[in-house]
Amino acid sequence: MMQLKKYKNELIVGFTFLLLLIALIYKQGAVSGQTDASAGVALQELKEVIAFKKVWGDKKTTKKVDKLKTIVSPSKVKWNKKSKKLTASFSNLSNQELNRVIVKIMNLAVEIQKLEVKKIGVSYQVEFKCKW
Amino acid sequence: MENTKELMLIYKDMSSISSMPTNGVNIMLTPQFYTIKREELPVKYAYQAKRIAPSLFDGLLEDVQNYKYFVVKEEDSWLFIAYDVEQIKTFLEQKGIEIAQVSKVYFSEQVADLFTAPVLLGEKEALVNLNGTITVLPQIALNPDEKPIQINANFTPKKGIAFEGGGKSFIGTNEAYTLASVFVLFAVIYFVEASRYGGENTAQVEETQALLENYPSLQSSYARKSISDKYRTIDEKERKKRDVIKALSHMIFKGSTLTSLLVDDKKFQAQFACKDKNVAKKLQELAKKEKFNTSKVPNSNDVQIEGTL
Repeated sequence: MMQLKKYKNELIVGFTFLLLLIALIYKQGAVSGQTDASAGVALQELKEVIAFKKVWGDKKTTKKVDKLKTIVSPSKVKWNKKSKKLTASFSNLSNQELNRVIVKIMNLAVEIQKLEVKKIGVSYQVEFKCKW
Repeated sequence: MENTKELMLIYKDMSSISSMPTNGVNIMLTPQFYTIKREELPVKYAYQAKRIAPSLFDGLLEDVQNYKYFVVKEEDSWLFIAYDVEQIKTFLEQKGIEIAQVSKVYFSEQVADLFTAPVLLGEKEALVNLNGTITVLPQIALNPDEKPIQINANFTPKKGIAFEGGGKSFIGTNEAYTLASVFVLFAVIYFVEASRYGGENTAQVEETQALLENYPSLQSSYARKSISDKYRTIDEKERKKRDVIKALSHMIFKGSTLTSLLVDDKKFQAQFACKDKNVAKKLQELAKKEKFNTSKVPNSNDVQIEGTL
């Protein structure tokens, strides 16, 4: 006991240094654990895939596409939807109606295969082909 | 905890010690080994008083740099004790007392009140309380009626000093505590950082697990990559189409009318009817800003804009 007391200062320094080493090893372990697992990267990837799925794989897209038919008078719409493909033509559209149709199309999460707008006289004609 | 170690009185004429208690010893120094001063000072804490101690003994001590100071608060004043550690250690070793065996060092002045009668120091001298100060007097000067007493463990004051590392330490106490503080500080920082990383890791793993439970089809990294690649291609292409349509819609302004537009998987084409040359020029500038190709339709102010997707 007396011998220990004799080297009290060395013991204090030694013990705290050991503590420092343990803390350093613990921290390195935590850091490398994070790097090895790439938990952050994997999570980001997963979130990205989920986000893509939510937008481009949305099961409600069909219903949303159907609403496109209702934003102008039915007499101005020719509608041909098969499975997840649509061919629609809108005719005799006023400026406002054209605007409404285009905005709606732009907000639909569908692959636009063809969008054709033609001005005939004072009205517009729109041909729209898409799939989802 | 009660101090049970033997209290040994140290004085100049003491005989050498042949055997020491195995569990160490406390020692009490007579005024032969220290110098005292009592001062009323407007300081509250001992460390403040200790700071000014050297100046109080200025001129009283030789080789001031060898001295250390012990400070105790008394009722109305501060008791300052200056002592030479090396001198005390040398004396103890001469008397056969191992420094490592010394637990605590006390000063007889600390317990002046307990010296109700003289304590004999060998055959010639005695330790007495003279007007509140412990003093070494020749025994011849003592009152023959006073019966001497002996000190025992009850004389042990609450506060004392300890020799640094038993005198053989490689590191001084101050250096040891400074180093220890630095090490502990860094250890705490590392532990906190580690727990932060660990916490982040755990949170991310938990979040990943929760997401995978909700989307079991994404368990496989190959499936994830395949889905991601498929949708990323669609996302990029479709965003581009929409960006083009949006940019073209900004080119419809007073004097400029969209007459046709075609967007398919690979390209886009738009034609604008312009009221005059100025409008056509402005339209072409806007299209160039968007890095679209422009051309004027011959024999008219119409502008054709096109590009690839």
